[in-house]
Amino acid sequence: MLRRLPALAAAALLATSMAACGSAAPEESAPGGTAAAGPTTITMWTRAATQAQSERLVEAYNKSHTNQVKLTVIPTDNYQPRIAAAAGAKQLPDVFAADVIFVPNYTSQGLFADISDRVAALPFKDSLAPSHMRLGTYEGRQYTLPHTLDLSVWFWNKDLYEKAGLDPEKGPATLKEFAEQATTVQEKLGADGKVHGTFFGGNCGGCYVFTFWPSVWAAGGTVMNAEGTESTVASSPMTDVFSIYRSLYDNGVTGPTTKEEQGPTWTGFFPKGEIGVMPMPSTTLGSMPADMKIGVAPIAGPDGGESTFVGGDSVGISATSQNVDAAWEFLAWTVSDEAQVEIMAKNKDVVARTDLADNKYSAEDPRVVLINSLVGKGQTPYALKFGETYNDPQGPWLRFAREALFGDVAKLPELNETLNQSLTQ
Amino acid sequence: MTSPLSTAPRLRRRRALAGWAYAAPTAVIVAVLFIAPLVLVVIMSLHKWPLLGQARPNFPANYTKIPDDPLFLDSVLFTLKYTVIVTILLSAVALGLALLVQDRRPGVGFFRTAFFLPGAVGFAAAALLFYGLLNNDFGPFGFLGVNWIGSPNMALTSTILLVLWRFAGFNMLILLTGLQAIPVEVYEAARADGANRWQIFTRITLPLLRPTLALMLILSITGSLLAFDQFFIFTNGGPDNSTVSMVMVVYRNAFFRFDLGGAAALSVVLLVVLVALNAVQMRILRGATTK
Amino acid sequence: MKYYSPRLALAVIFLFPLIWSGWASVRGPEGFTLANYRSITGYGEGLATYVGNSLMLSGMTVVGTLVVATLGGYAFARFHFPGKNLLFLAALAILMVPYATILIPLYVLLDHVGLQNSLLGLSLVFVMFQLPFALYMMRNSFEAIPREIEESALVDGAGSVKVLLSVLLPAVRPGLVTVGLFAFLASWNDFFAPLILLSDGASFPLPVAVVSMTQRTFGAIDYGVLQAGVMVMAVPCLVLFLVLQRYYVRGFMSGALRG
Repeated sequence: MLRRLPALAAAALLATSMAACGSAAPEESAPGGTAAAGPTTITMWTRAATQAQSERLVEAYNKSHTNQVKLTVIPTDNYQPRIAAAAGAKQLPDVFAADVIFVPNYTSQGLFADISDRVAALPFKDSLAPSHMRLGTYEGRQYTLPHTLDLSVWFWNKDLYEKAGLDPEKGPATLKEFAEQATTVQEKLGADGKVHGTFFGGNCGGCYVFTFWPSVWAAGGTVMNAEGTESTVASSPMTDVFSIYRSLYDNGVTGPTTKEEQGPTWTGFFPKGEIGVMPMPSTTLGSMPADMKIGVAPIAGPDGGESTFVGGDSVGISATSQNVDAAWEFLAWTVSDEAQVEIMAKNKDVVARTDLADNKYSAEDPRVVLINSLVGKGQTPYALKFGETYNDPQGPWLRFAREALFGDVAKLPELNETLNQSLTQ
Repeated sequence: MTSPLSTAPRLRRRRALAGWAYAAPTAVIVAVLFIAPLVLVVIMSLHKWPLLGQARPNFPANYTKIPDDPLFLDSVLFTLKYTVIVTILLSAVALGLALLVQDRRPGVGFFRTAFFLPGAVGFAAAALLFYGLLNNDFGPFGFLGVNWIGSPNMALTSTILLVLWRFAGFNMLILLTGLQAIPVEVYEAARADGANRWQIFTRITLPLLRPTLALMLILSITGSLLAFDQFFIFTNGGPDNSTVSMVMVVYRNAFFRFDLGGAAALSVVLLVVLVALNAVQMRILRGATTK
Repeated sequence: MKYYSPRLALAVIFLFPLIWSGWASVRGPEGFTLANYRSITGYGEGLATYVGNSLMLSGMTVVGTLVVATLGGYAFARFHFPGKNLLFLAALAILMVPYATILIPLYVLLDHVGLQNSLLGLSLVFVMFQLPFALYMMRNSFEAIPREIEESALVDGAGSVKVLLSVLLPAVRPGLVTVGLFAFLASWNDFFAPLILLSDGASFPLPVAVVSMTQRTFGAIDYGVLQAGVMVMAVPCLVLFLVLQRYYVRGFMSGALRG
């Protein structure tokens, strides 16, 4: 008798677990309403990278509402695995934010609940950050709202510019000017090995995407087709952008760890006052040293134009949530005038609505107005397989970019094929 | 010799029942938390298994596509190379350390502790520690100008340094138990016959240490073939995918590409290979123990 | 001198990374600072919560591992029963499974026994991962005890439970300490299983919290905070290691790892 026990236990467990796995989600995700009356506590996940913004929103919401939000912050590098495991076990939180770039993949996997009708009822629906909204649309239905916006822009260090004999009030207007100014800083101030002209994350696929692609868009070029199934990076203007950065690297204008930088520290050198001019995430502006004089310019193409990579997070209600009404109440509030102006704008964050780009806080800092104005001009590329193609260190893009910058340019057309394969598999 | 434990058949049956009772907690844990999930992994490997929604049987697609993944094929070669290098170096260093601290002398306890202490640091913490230690801007070795994770060979070398630092002491302790088990008389007899130190080492120490060495080898080989943390945290598979281990590919397929079925198929293949490999090793080990 | 100098040099090499990490954690731009530790203390739910979670988790894992492995080790060392070898081999096979893949099925499974998102469920998973080492160790510890001791007690009419508790347990104490110590180290330090299996930030153990807090600002690791976190994780282990050294060295030496 005793001998059979474990086998029986295992069999019983397996039967239950398989039954649960085999059954599809509909009966779980169908109930749209909150069953219980009274205050509801909903759960929310966010990644550590955009923790500050999420925490501010949740705190203010909890203070002013009877429904409460319980926020869990997960290490950025492990956010996607965490979501995958939770979804596999149907244990997603009520609400979760995600890097906007992963949203098409998540919606195609059915992780978010359809909120089209609720979004359509918002009076300001047409002014929600357009690229975030586009990536949250799948087969004509809407699944996410913008949560945080993080734009790539050029920062220049005015003190270093002055020391190097450059005009501290005049940043670069073209990628070629960017390269000239970086070279000047390097030649005039780089002798002691501490200061460098510029810097980029040379072993970080996501960094290349975020900082190099806007130059391509500014020049009127593309990086992929609209469906995100065909890569166009093996031709001009992407190749021109690569070759400008390549000569900066070859001439020793970039910091010494440029080629190895995997991403963890790529934004760390500028605040230390060691870099003349470089592309940076707009969200870091609020956390720069108070006494540092920083100029902000839109990213330009080789000969001009301006664009940006509209990054950041989107947020949606999970397909398995039982508290859809309460979750929506919170989501709708996060994009309201009150939350956007008094929480996001007040902390120098980019607002998620184009109609609020000029507000009482942004007026204090012309740099913030500039960044807000870029939301409508920038792009967020759409591809179902974006993460595994471009962000993943084992994906084909990083190999491509490193070959373009440090290796053999003749291999690029062939490597572009591996990008196409990854995008369409 | 008659033992009271094995006389009457009735008693023997009672002993068997008691044995089962004692082993029951083990059996429950193994069945519920190991065998059951394992069976689920096998079932997943036979399906196209989405994150949410209905799984569809697709056997043998998850298995037949394995050879089409160049990243996985490269990772097999890399993992084998890593396993060979680490196992050889780890055995050599651990044996060297064990020989250095085998005699009872004042202060020997301090040396054993010093070599063993890194084993107390969690592997993830150790990897993070080395991440800072070998960072040329933050760590103490910046002045050397060595690019610790800049090239494929240096990344592998740095990872091996980390693994040696973290695990040499543990393996030293295992070997030390084997060394201490060799009777002093054997050494004395050899010395009386005029054997020199090298002869004693190769003709007495090594052969008598074989079972212990074999155990260490099994642990090292299995651990190295399943290497994950060190590459995941420390090198992130780079530069240029030169340090991607097999388990990293499994992880990537499951958690980044959401191909749960494909990842499960890879795990099943890995498990089968490891079980077969260990069965062979176990046989060798058992052969070595029975004198 | 000829005996000590090479050993001393090696000891310095092995201890250097730990000493450096401790130093780096208190190094500020203007000399000594506790800023890194302060920034850890105030993070999220507060350091005390995470330490408390880790202690709970490790405590349950140690107790669970000791109970299961002692009973199991005794069974494998002293009893003959059908299925014995199969069970032992199955337990050893736990070593051969890629950790990363079994986590999703475990997640599903814990959910169905009502232990999802709980430290108890997670500690059971750790007990499972400890079993190969713990069972092997305890089996060999029991086998190393001369049978005569046990048999004379049995002849005196004591049941096997009583023999185990009063005669055998004291004799395998070094083995118990070794198993307990390694169960503690594994559960205290593990990062990946809690990250995947726990969904509530307030129940995260130390390693997940430390990795989260070092990734606070966008794409920039704070190395000073990182080393402070490494120290907070490592120091309790180092202390336990030193305090219990007498036992586990004997645990290994008493033949527990032979054959």
